[in-house]
Amino acid sequence: MNILVFIKQVADTEARILIKGDNRSLEIENKYNLNFFDEFAVEEAIRLKGKVKDSKISVCTYGGKKAVEALRTAIAMGVDQAYLIDNTDLDTDDPLITAKILAGFAKKEGFDLILCGRQAIDDENGNIGAMVAELLKIPHVTAITKLEVADDKKIIVESDIEGGKETKEVQLPALLTTQKGINEPRVPLITGVMKAMKANIPVVDPASLGLSRELLSRDASKIKILSYETPKGRPAVKMIEGETPEEKVKKLIKLLREEAKVL
Amino acid sequence: MSKDIFVFIEFKDGSIRKTSFELLSKGKELAEKLSSGLYAVMLGFDTKGLTEEIKPFADKIISVDEEALKEYRWDTYTDTMEYLIKKYSPYLVLGASTITGKDLFPRLAARLDAPIVSDAVGIEVSDGEIKIKKPIYGGKIISWVTTQNAPISIITFRPNSFSIEKRQINGEIIEERIEINMDSRVNAVKIDKGGSKKVDLQEADFIVCGGRGMKGPENFKVLEEIAEILGGRVGASRAVVDSKWRDYEDQIGKSGKTVSPKLYIGCGVSGALHHTMGMDTSKVIVAVNKDPNALIFQYADYGIVDDLFNILPALKEGLKSLKQEA
Ligand SMILES: Cc1cc2nc3c(=O)[nH]c(=O)nc-3n(C[C@H](O)[C@H](O)[C@H](O)COP(=O)(O)OP(=O)(O)OC[C@H]3O[C@@H](n4cnc5c(N)ncnc54)[C@H](O)[C@@H]3O)c2cc1C
Ligand SMILES: Cc1cc2nc3c(=O)[nH]c(=O)nc-3n(C[C@H](O)[C@H](O)[C@H](O)COP(=O)(O)OP(=O)(O)OC[C@H]3O[C@@H](n4cnc5c(N)ncnc54)[C@H](O)[C@@H]3O)c2cc1C
Repeated sequence: MNILVFIKQVADTEARILIKGDNRSLEIENKYNLNFFDEFAVEEAIRLKGKVKDSKISVCTYGGKKAVEALRTAIAMGVDQAYLIDNTDLDTDDPLITAKILAGFAKKEGFDLILCGRQAIDDENGNIGAMVAELLKIPHVTAITKLEVADDKKIIVESDIEGGKETKEVQLPALLTTQKGINEPRVPLITGVMKAMKANIPVVDPASLGLSRELLSRDASKIKILSYETPKGRPAVKMIEGETPEEKVKKLIKLLREEAKVL
Repeated sequence: MSKDIFVFIEFKDGSIRKTSFELLSKGKELAEKLSSGLYAVMLGFDTKGLTEEIKPFADKIISVDEEALKEYRWDTYTDTMEYLIKKYSPYLVLGASTITGKDLFPRLAARLDAPIVSDAVGIEVSDGEIKIKKPIYGGKIISWVTTQNAPISIITFRPNSFSIEKRQINGEIIEERIEINMDSRVNAVKIDKGGSKKVDLQEADFIVCGGRGMKGPENFKVLEEIAEILGGRVGASRAVVDSKWRDYEDQIGKSGKTVSPKLYIGCGVSGALHHTMGMDTSKVIVAVNKDPNALIFQYADYGIVDDLFNILPALKEGLKSLKQEA
């Protein structure tokens, strides 16, 4: 089985993020990780390869040169091949453009199954998976928590639905996005890390993916950022004092009713 | 060019979801500013009764009542929405960033080659231009974005982003009959709707969240009781979910759900960044923790430093008598 995994390098949750003077761009502290939900996708691909004979796993990211680190993490975990689709000077605020580029790469590479994360934890869009599937005209399932292979043309997946779970049979080729709970991503072994350090990671030019020049131009974006701002902070906390728990609770309820007006 | 607005309606367990009424309320306000019409779009099967519930809130209600739409599927719903959008040419399509919304709208956006802004929390119109408010990086930054070069834009909003306004529009119902084909490449084999917990965590107005300080799964009973009195839901930190005291669907935070209830009460939650990113858009935050230096107090409006095992029973009784008075 030919498995393709999309991964994204994202700013660490703890990274400091500052708004630049123009209010239209951000300065992000140099602390990046492989996106939390993408670790599940990589792990699931590796487990699948263990179950299905003659499988091959490729990962790719559309990102800057720095994103090679995330690709090396995936190699250290156990994927066979990684590709960097270089977005230097091209990075876009429009997820549909990112999706078109990833779909273009998938078409060129060929695949039976595509795995990606449920959402990137920086923009929290959760758009890419379903978009790529639509562009490739293949079925998608979001937020899967279980994956089994029925035969070489069919898989069985369990996924989140409103308030519950659904099990579906899906014909390949298909795209799945991974949710927490599907597996426990492995921590790379030192031998894996060594291999990753040495791995050759080809750099792909987005212009080579059969996409129109207009699509790659800066004006193609249908999303425009107007400004960034820092969220309004809360006023300082009011600590509630009292002799007994009952007294504190009484004061709290009074404040919630009369001051905050939420009860 | 039309500036009409579509609101995609969701329902669950036989009633319209609260988030859909929120979107209809905001949608009407926008439609008035744009001098356009508000359409509620209702896909499903056997939805007559539900359609009636929507009438006061929209100028027109498009109802597609077909057996093939009984359960949500990306294929049938994307096809139907595409058909309706091409027929009515709305300017904005508004939906909720629920599990269904997150599955449907990106696919629909790619189908229509339309811009999408997901998981937004606000929208404004000035001089005919829309401005969408969207938190990024776990709420550390608020971005204001707009769409361009596009006749139609899709926006999904977090539940609890808008208040519900009572209206009496008594909109006209338009019944659309469409031939719908299911994609044979996907077959549902089992649907487990779960023990229907009354309120959806992301839609709840009141959330009582337990952290590791709750000490064990058995102690969540008092949180359940408080949630019940308030008509809300119990949430949990990741430490609690990882210890298997609660299910993952209860998890609030960066790797769980993002919630913005009217009132969040954190009990024995330390307030780690990964957790607060999922709840700091709550209107009012209360923290109960025995450690006066706990981080959560930096995010809270009201704090109580005490043993939660003393506070929670008192809180339950206090809220109970409040409810009896009312
Ligand atoms: C206000 C705003 C500001 C933005 N600013 C920037 C910015 O400065 N720089 C920037 O790069 N993007 C920025 N974006 C986002 C960007 O345009 C795309 O939305 C983004 O590349 C797609 O990722 P996502 O976060 O939407 O992914 P999601 O749809 O949430 O990701 C789902 C999954 O898709 C896969 N995936 C996502 N992106 C990639 C990728 N690039 N390569 C491979 N796999 C991927 C991963 O498996 C991921 O788990 C911004 C978006 C908005 C709304
Ligand atoms: C990639 C990543 C993603 C993550 N995602 C999430 C997420 O989505 N959600 C999330 O919650 N966490 C997440 N975390 C974990 C997060 O960093 C914290 O570890 C976690 O939130 C801690 O949970 P807690 O507050 O319940 O436990 P603790 O930090 O152990 O806090 C327990 C608190 O209870 C108090 N306490 C103890 N006993 C009592 C008592 N009797 N009365 C009153 N107070 C008492 C203590 O003072 C303490 O403050 C993530 C971490 C990582 C690395």
